[in-house]
Amino acid sequence: MYTVESLVAQIQGLSSSAGDLSLLLTHLKQADEFLHNESTRLFPFLEQLDPTLHSLGYLYILEASTSGPVTNEQARRLVLLISRFLTSCVADQIRLAPEKFIAVCKSFKDQVLMLEAPIRGVVPLLEAVKKLRSSEHLTTLHPDFLQICLLAKCYKTGFSILEDDIFEVDQPRDFYLYCYYGGMICIGQKRFQKALELLHNVVTAPMSSINAIAVEAFKKYVLVSLIYNGQIYAGGFEVLFGFHSLTRLFLPFEQLYIELANTYSIGKISELETYIQTNREKFDSDNNLGLVKQVVSSMYKRNIQRLTQTYLTLSLQDIANTVQLSSPKEAEMHVLQMIQDGEIYATINQRDGMVRFLEDPEQYKTCEMIEHIDSSIQRIMTLSKKLTAMDELISCDPLYLAKVGRERQRFDFDDFDSVPQKFNI
Amino acid sequence: MDFSPLTDALSSKSYGKIADICDELMLKGAAEMEGVPFEEEWPFAIHLLAHIYVNDINSARYLWKSIPAAVKERQPEVVAAWRIGQRLWTRDYAAVHEAIRAFDWSQQIQPLVVAFSEVYTKRMFQLLLSAYSTIGIQDTALFLGMNEDDATNYVVQQGWVVDPDSRMLTVKKQPVKTEQKLDSSKLHRLTEYVFHLEH
Repeated sequence: MYTVESLVAQIQGLSSSAGDLSLLLTHLKQADEFLHNESTRLFPFLEQLDPTLHSLGYLYILEASTSGPVTNEQARRLVLLISRFLTSCVADQIRLAPEKFIAVCKSFKDQVLMLEAPIRGVVPLLEAVKKLRSSEHLTTLHPDFLQICLLAKCYKTGFSILEDDIFEVDQPRDFYLYCYYGGMICIGQKRFQKALELLHNVVTAPMSSINAIAVEAFKKYVLVSLIYNGQIYAGGFEVLFGFHSLTRLFLPFEQLYIELANTYSIGKISELETYIQTNREKFDSDNNLGLVKQVVSSMYKRNIQRLTQTYLTLSLQDIANTVQLSSPKEAEMHVLQMIQDGEIYATINQRDGMVRFLEDPEQYKTCEMIEHIDSSIQRIMTLSKKLTAMDELISCDPLYLAKVGRERQRFDFDDFDSVPQKFNI
Repeated sequence: MDFSPLTDALSSKSYGKIADICDELMLKGAAEMEGVPFEEEWPFAIHLLAHIYVNDINSARYLWKSIPAAVKERQPEVVAAWRIGQRLWTRDYAAVHEAIRAFDWSQQIQPLVVAFSEVYTKRMFQLLLSAYSTIGIQDTALFLGMNEDDATNYVVQQGWVVDPDSRMLTVKKQPVKTEQKLDSSKLHRLTEYVFHLEH
């Protein structure tokens, strides 16, 4: 039979070496049920432990004591306790019991939300993600951290973890949420290309039936595509996935957004605004009205950009007329903003009221450009190596081989093809 | 809360670092607060201006949105700081200067505001330089936040030419100098790529 006192003594005695810790882990696993039964009276014992020295034991006791329902009053105390634990615990110890660590973090997130103070969760959860993850691996805490960042309006902090590449995912749902919340963070930071990349991952992910995350992601995907590209598909993706199959999948759900894209493609501000005005409430109830407004202003930009392809010089009055702006001054301000953002290359001549469109001054011969090209090549090479490794792994996989073998018999009608199928082993 | 990194940065005039310092301090303070909410003593005006100083209007905007209404009511300086950010957000170029002048800044914040004002004037000059071939004196003065004579003097020193009849300035573009020295190892690597692709 256990007592809490004896367990605490064991934790204190067996927390120094790796061998001790694995012994301690076995003890704790056996005592887990007992701890959960005792959950209500565990708090005082935490004071006898040090979150850094005894991270593993602290984690087990903390998890047991937060497993039940928590009142508002308790949450106030717990949030502080857990946030201190998350910042000071030792990664090597907590990784011995990842499922316990995740459970503690999840309940921490719930408590922070219960107290309506998401900002209190940002730093501790960031620490937790850093401690739990191994490189390129998506933990189930990633989406929780991003959600807290969104709620606390700490977009910049959230953005910091989106720069790491992810290659390994355990649960598809974690990945969908990570990409969806990550996409929202990028939208807030106006990093539309990155947002598109993340949302695209959700929209094109293989799924047997459509889910709510994908539907919401699709709405934002359409809006961001319009803002960034002026059309729904991005570059060569439609060749890979088939834009039409994409829309067909979402069509019954999201007619509203596909119709918006169609209206946008006509290129007339007035028609776009009428469409948005009629459907204003629907966009608003989707919480997408802000993005929809950015879609409208992107159309002005796109229409001005289109002019640069046709004309070398154009008067501000003509720009105002073609783009449906009310005055030459307004056209000047639009052009100025676009020059500031590097979206067009032009000079304004106020004396004559003319704009001269210029070529992109980039001549691809500066040191920075070479630096940039070089780093891109390096990245692609690493990626290609990864892909080859993955490909080899799959072609050796007995399950995959068995499946392909079966299907070959079923589909191979060509009797003349006697060449045996080669596998890349 | 320990404000020493912030006060150090302020006194050493490392204004570019303040935004990051503030972000870190605030989030840590929020995670570790006991009893008193950190919002009570947090220097929101400095934090806002620090984001504005490094031209991170997104972060300034989200910070503004997260400031409790009570703080906004009690501290007019926070509202005044955001007014600058708001003008930047809407690209109301000339109104930024007005917003800077419209408030009597406290002693602690004054140097930061002055520093931003200088940076902003330089930024505006660069914008005019890149976007215009000719521009009216009146507009130039608005963009630079000066009176017409000061603005004319400022740009003439940079080689611009005044046409007194039309009250127009002709912009003198400055040749951009870029470092073109290439590390031989870089060149070697690029050669290897090409060699690899051709064989």
